[in-house]
Amino acid sequence: MGRAKFLFGPVAGRGGIVGLIGYFFRRSFLNVRQNLLINALAVVTITLSFLIVSLFLLLYVNLEGAGELWSEKVQVTVYYDRELNGNEFSALKNVIMTLEGTGTVGYVSQDAALKRFRARLKGQEALLDGVPPEVLPASLEIRLKPAYRTSEAVEAYVSRLKKIPAIGEVQYGEEWVRRLTLFMNFMRFAGALLGGFIALAVLFIISNTIKITIYSRREEVELLELVGATRFFIKMPFLIEGMLQGFLGALLALVILAAVSWAFFNHAGTFLLFNPQEAGLLFIPMEYCAAIIAAGILAGFIGSLTSLHRFVNQS
Amino acid sequence: MIQLHNVSVTYQQDVCALHGISLMVPKGDFVFLTGASGAGKSTLLKLIYAEIIPNRGQVIIDSQNISRLTRSELPPLRRSIGIVFQDFRLLPNRTVMENVAITLEVLGLGRKEIVERVTRILTQVGLEQRMQATPCRLSGGEQQRVALARALVNEPKILLADEPTGNLDDENKARVLAILKEANCRGTTILVASHDRRLIASSHKRAVVLERGEIREVHDGAR
Ligand SMILES: Nc1ncnc2c1ncn2[C@@H]1O[C@H](COP(=O)(O)OP(=O)(O)OP(=O)(O)O)[C@@H](O)[C@H]1O
Ligand SMILES: [Mg+2]
Repeated sequence: MGRAKFLFGPVAGRGGIVGLIGYFFRRSFLNVRQNLLINALAVVTITLSFLIVSLFLLLYVNLEGAGELWSEKVQVTVYYDRELNGNEFSALKNVIMTLEGTGTVGYVSQDAALKRFRARLKGQEALLDGVPPEVLPASLEIRLKPAYRTSEAVEAYVSRLKKIPAIGEVQYGEEWVRRLTLFMNFMRFAGALLGGFIALAVLFIISNTIKITIYSRREEVELLELVGATRFFIKMPFLIEGMLQGFLGALLALVILAAVSWAFFNHAGTFLLFNPQEAGLLFIPMEYCAAIIAAGILAGFIGSLTSLHRFVNQS
Repeated sequence: MIQLHNVSVTYQQDVCALHGISLMVPKGDFVFLTGASGAGKSTLLKLIYAEIIPNRGQVIIDSQNISRLTRSELPPLRRSIGIVFQDFRLLPNRTVMENVAITLEVLGLGRKEIVERVTRILTQVGLEQRMQATPCRLSGGEQQRVALARALVNEPKILLADEPTGNLDDENKARVLAILKEANCRGTTILVASHDRRLIASSHKRAVVLERGEIREVHDGAR
């Protein structure tokens, strides 16, 4: 109670603290209604800002998703020019599984290899007629865990793999892994940089927009000071209003983005060469959406708090 | 009680608005402040509600020195003072009702009580028909009465009125004067800045005449 009395002071008066909080919310909503134009402008600005943010996130999420998809293909193959029998395979597999980074180990027999090759030559299978399976090597295919799919990690893995006795000839697409790694690193770096700039710009835009809405009402702030309102009493409705603007702006941005990307996912197939649904395009994950909304509210709060700091400070 | 001891106010280091003013207004008194335009009437009132701080001298309101107020002491002081600003300072986006309610909201009263008291005071100043209008729809005189209602609705200990009759016809002047006198009868100390000699003469109250920032004479008002 001591703390409450300190905060609300004599202001809580006969209306009580609950009445006071009710008043703050009522006042904020009335303020929005009575300053509809400037509030609408603020919300539109915030919406546009968050649209940029979420569009960026959408792009990033999809690129990252594509990268993950490609990195699935990172695979280490160990070739043998003869078939392994069941015992040999399971003994080898057990040893390989103890290596850090191993995901799965599979065996491709000479027969299976030929079948695969045949499938690739669709339509020209006749070329392989009469070719015995022994022409192709048998192999172990090792998939790596996601964290081990960069070129350095693969290299290190392969050198450890080679120390196992009875291991055959090891191959992996060095060049391809190198490029994938480069691409992923570049994307993450550019993403962080661009994301940082966008976040800063958006924070700046939002806090300035809110500053304008508050500045347009400095008479109100002045008058409240002159009739003896405490700083807390003056600030509260503005803070609530700012958070409301941030919330609405972020929400609206997500709704627009969801609608646009829904339309794109469902209809783009008719004019694009690929079907976006099949290409596995993603919407921003739910946690990111929640984070965007939270960021909107936070930006609104910080924006109003810093702007109020300017206007509410007399003695 | 309002006390000024040898008070000087200088704006921007060179405009001397008040010079060595000493004045005492006892509790429950009714005093006019008069003098030519630019004599320093508004400045004197601003000292009392601590919008400005004197460069020299002391301003003491109910034993509180306004130069020594802490951040937390200022709002309670202002809540006990009703002010009619020379430029009204009504909020253009709010209705007459809401404008008057502000002083009660700041006190933290409940909604029902606020509506009751605001309705009562607006009826008293003759604006019960205009409660839902916004200030820009009102005439200058009506706006002035809204400002008066806002200053009086919380029954302040002190009322400071800067030209509260400036835009009014004789009938409404008399009405405003009657309202001020009634508040005074309930114990409110009243300080009115006005050029209106006839109004001052007809009120039979004490009048302090300012001239270029100094007190020239004090009429004691009684016949
Ligand atoms: N904010 C300010 N900055 C600089 N000078 C000011 C300021 N306010 C008032 N003054 C000057 O101080 C002097 C006294 O002003 P004040 O407003 O107290 O006069 P007044 O008696 O209320 O006049 P009026 O009857 O026209 O309202 C004037 O010369 C004015 O120009
Ligand atoms: Mg004046």
